[in-house]
Amino acid sequence: MATPLEILKQKQSEAIERLAAKVSDSTIKVNVGMATCEIAAGSRNVMAVFRDAIDSGEIEGVVLSQKGCAGRCYLEPTVEIFIPGKTPYKYGKVDAERAKEIIQRHLKNGEVIQEWLI
Amino acid sequence: MEPKYTITLCDAEFSSEHSVGLKDAFEKAAKANSLENGLRFTTCKTLGLNGKGAVVVVNPGYYVYGNVTEELVDRIVAEHLVGGEAVEENLIKEDHLFNRSFKTFGDSEFFGKQLRIALRNCGNIDPDNIDDYLANRGYEALAKVLTDMTPFDVIQEVKKSGVRGRGGAGFPTGLKWEFTQRSQADEKYVVCNADEGDPGAFMDRSTIEGDPHTVLEGMAIAGYAIGASKGVIYIRAEYPLAIKRLEKAIADARNAGFLGTKILGSDFDFDIELRLGAGAFVCGEETALLNSIEGRRGMPRPRPPFPAQSGLFGKPTLINNVETWANIPVIILDGSEWFSSVGTENSKGTKVFALAGKVVNTGLVEVPMGTTLRDIVYDIGGGIPNGKKLKAIQTGGPSGGCLPVEYLDTKIDYESLAKAGSIMGSGGMIVIDEDTCMVSIAKFFLEFTQDESCGKCTPCREGTKRMLEILTRITDGKGKPDDVAKLERLGNMIKKASLCGLGQSAPNPVLSTIKNFREEYEEHINEGKCRAGQCQSLLSYVINDNCVGCGACKRVCPVDAISGEKKEAHLIDQDKCIKCGQCYQACKFKAIGKF
Repeated sequence: MATPLEILKQKQSEAIERLAAKVSDSTIKVNVGMATCEIAAGSRNVMAVFRDAIDSGEIEGVVLSQKGCAGRCYLEPTVEIFIPGKTPYKYGKVDAERAKEIIQRHLKNGEVIQEWLI
Repeated sequence: MEPKYTITLCDAEFSSEHSVGLKDAFEKAAKANSLENGLRFTTCKTLGLNGKGAVVVVNPGYYVYGNVTEELVDRIVAEHLVGGEAVEENLIKEDHLFNRSFKTFGDSEFFGKQLRIALRNCGNIDPDNIDDYLANRGYEALAKVLTDMTPFDVIQEVKKSGVRGRGGAGFPTGLKWEFTQRSQADEKYVVCNADEGDPGAFMDRSTIEGDPHTVLEGMAIAGYAIGASKGVIYIRAEYPLAIKRLEKAIADARNAGFLGTKILGSDFDFDIELRLGAGAFVCGEETALLNSIEGRRGMPRPRPPFPAQSGLFGKPTLINNVETWANIPVIILDGSEWFSSVGTENSKGTKVFALAGKVVNTGLVEVPMGTTLRDIVYDIGGGIPNGKKLKAIQTGGPSGGCLPVEYLDTKIDYESLAKAGSIMGSGGMIVIDEDTCMVSIAKFFLEFTQDESCGKCTPCREGTKRMLEILTRITDGKGKPDDVAKLERLGNMIKKASLCGLGQSAPNPVLSTIKNFREEYEEHINEGKCRAGQCQSLLSYVINDNCVGCGACKRVCPVDAISGEKKEAHLIDQDKCIKCGQCYQACKFKAIGKF
């Protein structure tokens, strides 16, 4: 009979497979902070902007996810952009307007918006 | 163009002798190899990799190099940064549970100076997706104890780690587990105290909202260790999102077989339910919390018997705080030996603080025990905004104390903070600058505890009320000469005679400010002066020579206290003035002084 550790390892690799099925080698991952503090700072609007851009097909190959609070209260809402082969880009004080610009400039044109980086 | 690579140099004690010069070596090698756009450097405090010599992280890709020498730097630059092939034999590839957030956030100075154990997944994973937790070695600690360890082994491991209760009192966690395990009963309970009540504290909320499964896993491990099959999380109803995430996490964990019967094919049964509290501060006290779970009024009762003997519904009960639970999976997987290598002699591991107040980088920080207050306020916190001077640091919330600047180099651990006259508490840390009146801040905290006193025992119920009256009198400018002595006598009496931790610690903010800022109390009482300019009643507004007689102040004064003809100097009648400050705001000529 399988030990608990063997059963768990099986479950872990299934989980990793499920996560991997959502992405390819070139997928860009966008994390938006969605803890109470981030939401209070306005992250729901930011989430909506990214969600709309993905749903409308404006940006492709992007996976959107929520995350908890990383602890940078004074820079919330925060957004991280994971591009394969790059150090994760961490944006602070992202409102709907900034989110739109990040989509236009960074995600579509590959321009890193230095002044908003944390 | 931005540099392609970021080099993070770890400036921990164990490697400081090496790390000097490493930066130079990198720069020299980068030049010699004519690396495009140069390099970006950041520093970090420690990666928790004791005994690995100088540690350097290369991003992108999160390559961690150990035992870095100047020769190795040359190879890293030539082979990795220019050639694109990492120097395999010097890479540290162990997949530790601690500091996982470093992969995403490590190259930012704010995070680089922290060491994350309890918050390792916060901000990195989707808290609503159990797959994300599993992909980060989630529930592996639970599987490990069910496979390889006896309950006795688990308790020994927790004891050896040296972890102490993160809720504030700092009782050794392993001992608590052992006591509960030894109690004989047909049923036992594991309880998570998520009744976070300190004003301005949000450590537990963030942990649950960012990584709810770690709390469940920690509790399940404890259930196995002490022989309990039921767990209860007591969380305040004011945390709706945290509750929602916990409910989802519990449901997902049940579906996946991490909670319920025959967990992971073993004979171990354990399930967790939520109990919502209405938000009374006293319910964070363990016996009051148990009463509240049982459906009774949230009031403390005398100890002994301790919950380990007779707790929830009279059964042996193990209560730990959210942050303590979040540490447990790390202790099991990374080992007690590693865990106890972090921290000071008697305080092991890390502590999460909610850094707030007059500091540039407010936020949630997790640092190794033994970090100094100065490191937190200036290094991580970025100092005081607007060029103001630091006056004090308040730790421990309404149960803690205010430490003046002389204590900036105090190391953060349970004993040092207590010796300095404050407490670790659950992790509130408020930075106070010169514009804050220490009497007012003491009054603020006492107002809170006075309001939250449950009323069961007289010293707390009556004593805090009397203390608050005296403090109000002082800030209103009606203090009496012996008020400070009275506050001290009352405070010490309340501390000694109160039933529970709330009353025993309620006078701390007052006593510690008297100890460290007595002169401010005396100024209020004897000279009617508030040096921070915060106590409205002690202020007087006076018009000076800058007055051009425009009449702006006269028009806004709600009590007609200002007189004077047009284009002539005006005058404020101090007897009529109610110190509302409207004239001060209205004057465009800096003609009104605030004293």
